[in-house]
Amino acid sequence: MLSILRGFLILTAFLMLGDIAVELFALPLSSGVAGMLLLTLWLLLRRRLSHDLGAASQPLIGMLALLIMPGVVGIFFQADEFSGQWLTIFIALILGTLLSSLTTLWLMQRLVATLRERPHE
Amino acid sequence: MSELLLRLEGLVHTLPQRPETAIVLTLAAYFAGLRLFSWLRSPAWCPPILLAACLLAGLLALLPLDYIEYRRGVGWLTWLLGPATVALGVPLYQQVHHIRTLWKPIVLTLPPAAMLAAGYAMGIAWLLDATPTVLASLAPKSVTAPIAMGIVEELRGSVSLLMGALLITGVMATLSITLLARWGNIHDQRVIGFALGINGHAIGTVRAFDIGPTAGAFASLGMSLTGVFTALWLPLMWHFVG
Repeated sequence: MLSILRGFLILTAFLMLGDIAVELFALPLSSGVAGMLLLTLWLLLRRRLSHDLGAASQPLIGMLALLIMPGVVGIFFQADEFSGQWLTIFIALILGTLLSSLTTLWLMQRLVATLRERPHE
Repeated sequence: MSELLLRLEGLVHTLPQRPETAIVLTLAAYFAGLRLFSWLRSPAWCPPILLAACLLAGLLALLPLDYIEYRRGVGWLTWLLGPATVALGVPLYQQVHHIRTLWKPIVLTLPPAAMLAAGYAMGIAWLLDATPTVLASLAPKSVTAPIAMGIVEELRGSVSLLMGALLITGVMATLSITLLARWGNIHDQRVIGFALGINGHAIGTVRAFDIGPTAGAFASLGMSLTGVFTALWLPLMWHFVG
């Protein structure tokens, strides 16, 4: 339990570093993402993952879906604002996502396959 | 007795404003969503997050609690999105050897894939005569929530429409990638995970971790790279075109 708390301290400290970096350099990023990049960089330099950090990050990542839920339900309460455009919105989202998923899978699969054929390039 | 009733009436006013009320409702809806999901025999077309969001919306509509109050109360929980985003650096680091061997396909796939994730939906919406506000709100639909909110504010879109778009996109990306991978005979966890992260942000990443740790790491990578890349190009492009 203390291990999770120590890991949580590290994560929150990196979130703060992210805050500072975003403010100081006027980055177009959220502080969470800036913090994540800084944490990755720090781990790469240290080449060692502490037990604490693993213990705290695993449950938090598992909770991601829960954490975005409060924002997501907002759409049910502001539906009037976009009346008359719902069909457009649904078609754009569903078709657009289907097409982009298809493109990404195809592109990545092809590029990984070329890499496999010529592994020493 | 009348005093008790009076206090009860006071409670009706104060209880909805309390953080614990918002948190209890959110967690209860979340677990009920998970229950319902396994009771429905885990349908691929309807992930637990969609069920949970509908249950939560139903609860909020029935109770004398408005959404603004709820958002204020639940802030304690949503704040955790910050450290949770930072935590994604851990699987990223753990899978760095995979990423090193695959850096070329990753670097080549990311820019077109991230641009098309926004571009297809915006193009279709534009063809169907969507208003600029709708276009701006749909643009960061494949980007993880905390970054997407920043982008949508810069483009002057609607945050709540964006959140709805994120839900639909995440669900749709998870569903279509699962089906397309099965249909196209793609079993490479790295490819599936990366596609889930680029197109399906946090919802896709949750699904990728269900598939396996490698898929999860590639999804975290795809999600974070898409977020960073989109945060950089989309506002520039938007001001250039608009």
